[in-house]
Amino acid sequence: MSASPIRRQVTLPLSVAWQVVLQGIRIRLGRSLVTLMGVLLGIAFLMSILTGQSIRQGVRRETEARAECRRMIGFLTAETGPLRDRAVGVIQAGAISDIERRLAAALLDEGASEVRWAAVAGAAMPAGLPAGRVRAAEPRAAAEGAAALLLVGEGASPDLRWGELVAGTRQRVLAVARATPAPEAGADATVLSLAREPHPDELAEQRSEARRTRFRTAWIIAISLLVTVIGISNAMLMSVTERFREIGTMKCLGALSAFVRQMFFIEACLLGVVGAAAGCVVGAAFAAAAFSLSYGMDLVVSAMSPWTLLAHGALCVAAGVGLSIVAAIYPASFASRMVPATALRSTI
Amino acid sequence: MSRTDIDARKLEALFPSADEAGRRCIIRALDVKKVYRMGATETHALRGATLDIREGEYLSIMGPSGSGKSTLFNMIGGLGKPTSGKVYIDQVDIAQLDANELAWLRCRKIGYVFQTYNLIQVMTCLENVMLPMSFAGLGNEEARDKGMYILKLVGLAHRPLHRPAELSGGQQQRCALARALANSPEIVLADEPTANLDLHTGEEMIELLATLRDELGVTIISATHDLKMLKRSDRILWIEDGRIVRMAKPGEVDFNSGEFH
Repeated sequence: MSASPIRRQVTLPLSVAWQVVLQGIRIRLGRSLVTLMGVLLGIAFLMSILTGQSIRQGVRRETEARAECRRMIGFLTAETGPLRDRAVGVIQAGAISDIERRLAAALLDEGASEVRWAAVAGAAMPAGLPAGRVRAAEPRAAAEGAAALLLVGEGASPDLRWGELVAGTRQRVLAVARATPAPEAGADATVLSLAREPHPDELAEQRSEARRTRFRTAWIIAISLLVTVIGISNAMLMSVTERFREIGTMKCLGALSAFVRQMFFIEACLLGVVGAAAGCVVGAAFAAAAFSLSYGMDLVVSAMSPWTLLAHGALCVAAGVGLSIVAAIYPASFASRMVPATALRSTI
Repeated sequence: MSRTDIDARKLEALFPSADEAGRRCIIRALDVKKVYRMGATETHALRGATLDIREGEYLSIMGPSGSGKSTLFNMIGGLGKPTSGKVYIDQVDIAQLDANELAWLRCRKIGYVFQTYNLIQVMTCLENVMLPMSFAGLGNEEARDKGMYILKLVGLAHRPLHRPAELSGGQQQRCALARALANSPEIVLADEPTANLDLHTGEEMIELLATLRDELGVTIISATHDLKMLKRSDRILWIEDGRIVRMAKPGEVDFNSGEFH
């Protein structure tokens, strides 16, 4: 034959695909909602698991910290007697832990009139301590007349005249919040180590319990996501069969298989984003409400970190889009393989 | 005629590419066979159909259901490939074309009109007409202008922004015809275009097709049982049991009995 006048069709009009998809979603709203609900439920489940996990962790940390504080205060007051209307001196060396920060507030709750805080050896007094009743002071002024002197912070024991400082306190008590070696405070001083090292067996038990929980959670998440993918895929297949003739017609008009695939992937992405975003909100709200019932609202609120929530939300939206794209692979390729002659059949 | 190896010279000798009137041969089917396999059973939908269609011709294909009418229709419309034999559309053997080339062919050379209109329900009338132009890579503005022009041509310029569901059957079929004409095809393939229309709108449709043929020189091939449509056509092809049994001019057919003279 003579030189072929036939050329290759290359056009994949993206704007047309968008237009068809958007109008299709609007007009076939019921069908789109079914697909959307698939994504929404799956992602809501994932989000509620993730949020629940972080709430449980936060609550555990919170209750452990509160218990640890109470234990330390109890240990201290056993030596000093009630702290009512007494001042407590604190020497801070280096950065302090969350529990040490809570100690200041706990001392005041216990009845102490004020906490005199001396940050030494280059340490900076942390922000967020109860204002007004925690006062910055020199080490000597902090210790003078205090019920006890408390050493906090991760640094090494600063080089102070500990004997004189402790001698200035009423009961000559030096309490060390860390498991660091206590400084030499003189023969007649009582030196308390408030820190408690958990037993190795206890730690091992905690670790294996955490491992078991992680495994169980991963398993549940995997199964639920698989179910989600199958659900979305099924809903999309239904919508492909509904659109058999429409797709065949488009192919008759010159649509490439790639164009048909493109349409389905755009639809999957759109439904994925919307469904996942809604699922995130629903899942997080559900988890927060459920845990509020068992732990109380304020504990749950203090256990939730907005950054973790945001990170989990982003993860869930990404997962939702990813899942719906994976779910769209089969329906899209099924639709794109459709022969144009399908359009001629009048009874579908 | 050799059925296995057909070369271009033999072909030219057997079927001159232009007839006495100088009309080019636009579709040529040579001993086309089509076998559908469903598991162990074979269905011979076409048992060797040979056919020549001239440019600007108005051809009607008739045949009882299951006669291979739709299969022949698909073959000469580039919608399927024959099991054996050759189909040439505008001198090109369609068996040699890949998916993208077939898409190009369907987009620009052939316009399809369906029995059930097959308008894209989610798009407006004008958008439906613009769709093949988008596939052909035409810009939006240009496509809109051309779309409006074609809608005027089929007498639907007053309802460009209506959706198919808001149009009557006749209007939908006009819109479908406008869409088929979008990329100025040389061939319009109409599958029982009047079957779902009432008598009056059916007649209008037939007139419109005839006018387009006369004014634009489009080749019109339609599968139909509509007597008025048969009377308007240049040639009528009768297919039965996978074979073309008769090819006749409308004058040679007794429309009362449906028999050929």
